[in-house]
Amino acid sequence: MAAMKTRMSSFSRNTSVAPAPQAPGLKSGPNGTIFLSSGIPDLDKILGGGFPLGSLVMVMEDTEAPHHMLLLRNFMSQGLVHNQPLLYASPSKDPRAFLGTLPSPVLSKDDRSHNRDPEQLQEKGLRIAWQYKKYFGEHQPNFDSHRDTKHEYCNDFDLRKPLERHFLTAQNICCLSIQDPPNLAAFRDCCAKFLAQFSRNNSSISCAGRVAIQSFCAPQCEYSNMEWDMLSFIRSLKGMIRDSNAVAVITFPPSLLSPSSSKRWQHIADTLLSVKAIPDEDKELANLLTGYQDMVGLLNVHKVANVNTQVPVILEATTFSIKLQKRRYLVLECLNQAPVDGSSGSSYASTGSCSGSTKTGTLDF
Amino acid sequence: MAESICRNLRDGALEGEHAPALSIKDSIATPFGSDVFNYVLTKLSSNILAGKSQSQGIVLVAFSRSPSFYVDFLKTNGIDLVSAKKWISILDCYTDPLGWKDSLKGPLDTKNFSLKDPIEAVLFRHVRNLDLLLSAIIEMGEALAGQGKGRFSVSIDSVTEMFRHASLPSVANLLSKVRSHDRISSTFWLLHSDLHEIRAIAALEYLSSMVGSLEPMNLSLNGQRGDLEKLSLLEQNSRKGKFHVRFKRRNGRVRVMCEDFHIKQSGINFTPVSSEEGIINQGLLPKVQFNLQLSEKERIDRAKVVLPFEHQGNGEPMHIYDGRRSLSEGKDEKASVLTENLQTNEDSGKGEIIYFRDSDDEMPDSDEDPDDDLDI
Repeated sequence: MAAMKTRMSSFSRNTSVAPAPQAPGLKSGPNGTIFLSSGIPDLDKILGGGFPLGSLVMVMEDTEAPHHMLLLRNFMSQGLVHNQPLLYASPSKDPRAFLGTLPSPVLSKDDRSHNRDPEQLQEKGLRIAWQYKKYFGEHQPNFDSHRDTKHEYCNDFDLRKPLERHFLTAQNICCLSIQDPPNLAAFRDCCAKFLAQFSRNNSSISCAGRVAIQSFCAPQCEYSNMEWDMLSFIRSLKGMIRDSNAVAVITFPPSLLSPSSSKRWQHIADTLLSVKAIPDEDKELANLLTGYQDMVGLLNVHKVANVNTQVPVILEATTFSIKLQKRRYLVLECLNQAPVDGSSGSSYASTGSCSGSTKTGTLDF
Repeated sequence: MAESICRNLRDGALEGEHAPALSIKDSIATPFGSDVFNYVLTKLSSNILAGKSQSQGIVLVAFSRSPSFYVDFLKTNGIDLVSAKKWISILDCYTDPLGWKDSLKGPLDTKNFSLKDPIEAVLFRHVRNLDLLLSAIIEMGEALAGQGKGRFSVSIDSVTEMFRHASLPSVANLLSKVRSHDRISSTFWLLHSDLHEIRAIAALEYLSSMVGSLEPMNLSLNGQRGDLEKLSLLEQNSRKGKFHVRFKRRNGRVRVMCEDFHIKQSGINFTPVSSEEGIINQGLLPKVQFNLQLSEKERIDRAKVVLPFEHQGNGEPMHIYDGRRSLSEGKDEKASVLTENLQTNEDSGKGEIIYFRDSDDEMPDSDEDPDDDLDI
């Protein structure tokens, strides 16, 4: 391209861009990173495209709610739909059984309505767009409705329909139980062998891999007392991942670790998310939030991977509500505060979990 | 609410799901965990006898009380023990947990009880070997529930005792295997929270689907309290307390409930919370920043504000303030409310706005815009 134009300056644009990845399910992003989808369209949008290859994603569980399983299921299903090999480890006796609960992708876009607010009517008169940011996503036209599921970067998954058998019987799924082995050596070897298939070299990527580890420090695992061993395992896994075209997602309940360990694990992650349970039938919360009835939990984004760049990713909002639309589709929405009647607004107390723009300042007007 | 716990245990597990597990936590401030445990045991037993529950039998792993205690307890609480061998068995880890008596005296017969006793109690001597314990529990349970698909419940007298003999991962392993076993309908256990590390308690809470914790009625503050007050607090705490339960529901939400309990001679009574609001919600979100309505006090204060304008908007005839304080003071003394006068007098003493009108021709509140004569 630079040869076509007359050069105005002595700088010339380097047009040799990394080739677009040939493998399905991968997308190139800024700074030469290649993304793979998390399986949740909203999460991909929030993270700026998906999970970058070679990164370690850690999800902090809430011991009171199984929402991390929703994230894992979507992640694993997406990988299987795109024919990406998967390594799954969990502390249960029979991890294969979990594969039966993976959701199936939705076949056509028409099935799922984009209308987030079903009560919204087309009024001729004045429309007040309360919480207007909700409506931004609606105006995007559907370009991909003619593509079939295999070639879509990120599918919507129907959590009520299990994944078809033919995806599960493929040879590329490896399941491990981490409950019984007394130490992590065997697990580490298994991961090394799996990740060797995707080692990075300068040729184009043939396929990417996914590693999903559930509840890594669950108390019923024999090694759960050995905090330094677990940390060393994560460190070596991160090193192996960096060197390969794969993404690892590890979920762990931070309250079961000592505080210093928990901090170390949070620091070692490239992308750090956390899920939180919400109290049931809480009238205060129901008054504060719209859509409380449909919410099942909260998702917080603590850290987003910045690969090949020194510019940190700053998100507009870090707390999202996890909702199941029609009890099938996982959506993440920004928290919307309901109009409050203000009678209780005596103190201005803000917690750190809400959007990054609210700060307790000393200036109160 | 204790009712709903018992109902949850009675209903048991769905196919493919883990069994519901209740953790009862107490501490030295309210040492009534065993009363709650016995209450739950009684309720479950009556449900089993009445045929209402999913489980067909209970395996009680007794660490901290002897089997005879349980026999007597169930008898006094009206549970019919005639056919008890069909629906309850006790694994006796109380009499000789580590097999010391056995090694001292030589081999004895395994059954501690004579055949006349109503409940089958099997002596267990190897509490350090949790695999053996688990298989003993499963064996006893399957004997109760029969060969087919029948299920049974497991109750563990005190997990605290288990921790004395085994490490956290192995106890957690046993409990998770119990929960995930396909013949177990429900399970519940007791633990004393001040005898364990936070990690151990967190692990047990992680493994349970309902956590019931006993708390004292009045959390004593560290302020200056007289001895009499302290005694009365102790008195209150000695018989009563609060029972907080956190349910993990299937939809991923947590239900928090609270009840008062009262220990009487006959047992424990649960009553709904009598005092004011139960739980102070931590608040995941900030409170609103602005307040659109005024409280009563604020409304009164607003009415009292003396506006710096010429007419006060309250129907009084307008008078132009021309810098002579004596006029306003004279007017004020005639007013009926004296306290407000004092206030305004004092206020006028602090700061003054001295305003001399340009001319007396100006009508008050004329509609002319003083900027009209600017030529822009």
